[in-house]
Amino acid sequence: MITWILIAVAVVIIFIFFMYYNRFVRLTHQIDNSLAQINVQLKKRSDLIPNLLSAVKGYMKHEKGIIKEVTDARKALVGAEGVEAKMKAGNKLQSALKSIFAIAEGYPDLKANTNFLHLQQELSAIEDKVAYARQYYNDGIMSYNVMTTVVPGKWFASMYGFNKREYLKIAEAEKAVPKVEF
Amino acid sequence: MEQARLSFHEEIRKNKINSFFLIGIVLVVLLALVYSIGFIMGGDFFFIILIVGTIISILYVVGGYYKSADLAVAASNAKKANGPEYRQYHNIVEGLCLASGLPKPKLYVMHNQQINAFASGRDPKHAVVCVTDGAIEKLTKQELEGVLAHELSHVANYDIRFMTLTAVLVGMIAIISQIFLRTLFWSSMTGGRRNNSSGDGKGQMIMMVIGIALAILAPIVVALVQLAISRKREYVADSSAVKFMRTPTGLIGALTKIKDNTPMKVSGAVAPLFLAKPTREKEWFQTHPPLSKRIARLERM
Repeated sequence: MITWILIAVAVVIIFIFFMYYNRFVRLTHQIDNSLAQINVQLKKRSDLIPNLLSAVKGYMKHEKGIIKEVTDARKALVGAEGVEAKMKAGNKLQSALKSIFAIAEGYPDLKANTNFLHLQQELSAIEDKVAYARQYYNDGIMSYNVMTTVVPGKWFASMYGFNKREYLKIAEAEKAVPKVEF
Repeated sequence: MEQARLSFHEEIRKNKINSFFLIGIVLVVLLALVYSIGFIMGGDFFFIILIVGTIISILYVVGGYYKSADLAVAASNAKKANGPEYRQYHNIVEGLCLASGLPKPKLYVMHNQQINAFASGRDPKHAVVCVTDGAIEKLTKQELEGVLAHELSHVANYDIRFMTLTAVLVGMIAIISQIFLRTLFWSSMTGGRRNNSSGDGKGQMIMMVIGIALAILAPIVVALVQLAISRKREYVADSSAVKFMRTPTGLIGALTKIKDNTPMKVSGAVAPLFLAKPTREKEWFQTHPPLSKRIARLERM
């Protein structure tokens, strides 16, 4: 009888160990997945830029500076390694794009171009999606960090080697509204 | 995906249990109906009616479970949202799916000038979301986002499964019991009398009374159960929508605009699925809490 109780207790304990391990793994997968989503959106953004530039070039002959800025920002985004760097490059590209769209307001022909309008809509949708994906990533990090700091999750976390993770922050400089010069 | 699921855990569990019991109750009620129909009108065909009726009931419940979204879409006469004018609609839903970790649902549009929306399906992987043309035209982007966030919350916490099942199954029970009542009336006027002389009139009368009681009570009971639960659901979905969007402004704006809506015509069975009640009903028979109360709650967030 006693042996059976001991066996039952052992099974329960093993089950709890497995359960906590699986929870950590699941959260890690969720975080990795939302990271992949951010990258997908950033990739889409950089893929749309050449189309946008070719749509804009015919109209904006005197805006070489801003076009170069966008091209450079895109190059930086394509070449960036790691999430933080990619997010940073992505934000820089986004603010350069904002300047382009602001300047476009002064070109009625361009504003009437359906291709340009479509690209503008898609790019602003991507901006929202990046923000949402980042929010989901940070939500994931939060649940994960809560799990690694509360008891008994904390004990399991240190046992399995799951450490606290960093939130994806927006750097102060990028929070500023982009400056538009005419 | 897991995170959204974790935070909705309690809601999801309740909805799954409710759906299970709903299917069970509906099946029992249907079989009771089949049995009383067979008993009253069957005569020699009693067993044939019983077998055929049972098969139909089971097929119906299973079909209702797997095809509920299609039925809801068909009942509201919605079309797939294809075309450039719905690009923003798709983009908003894609963004909100990223925020909530849900797969993207199928998107539909109803050609109606009123502002309204509904979600349906048996789980997030087989979900549909539908909005009216009115919502796409009259709402700003942020307001539409609020409405869609509300609908996606229904998807995320499995409200859609329970609500659609209720709409489809209960709606059908109402129709079947109406047919039953009419047939009963008709047979008592004509053929029913013949059997009375052959004795056993009393048993038949009792079954008839039970049958009528069932036919009248069944839809009312199930509808009331559904009403009691669905009001709370709307508040939960409102607050989860705010969680996805991190701001209540959009949804408040949309609900304020809906307040000025004129009633729209939809099939009574699918009415509870909508964002705001499509028809004007008495307070105690509403599936949705009053808009002013929902707005007041959102403003406090």
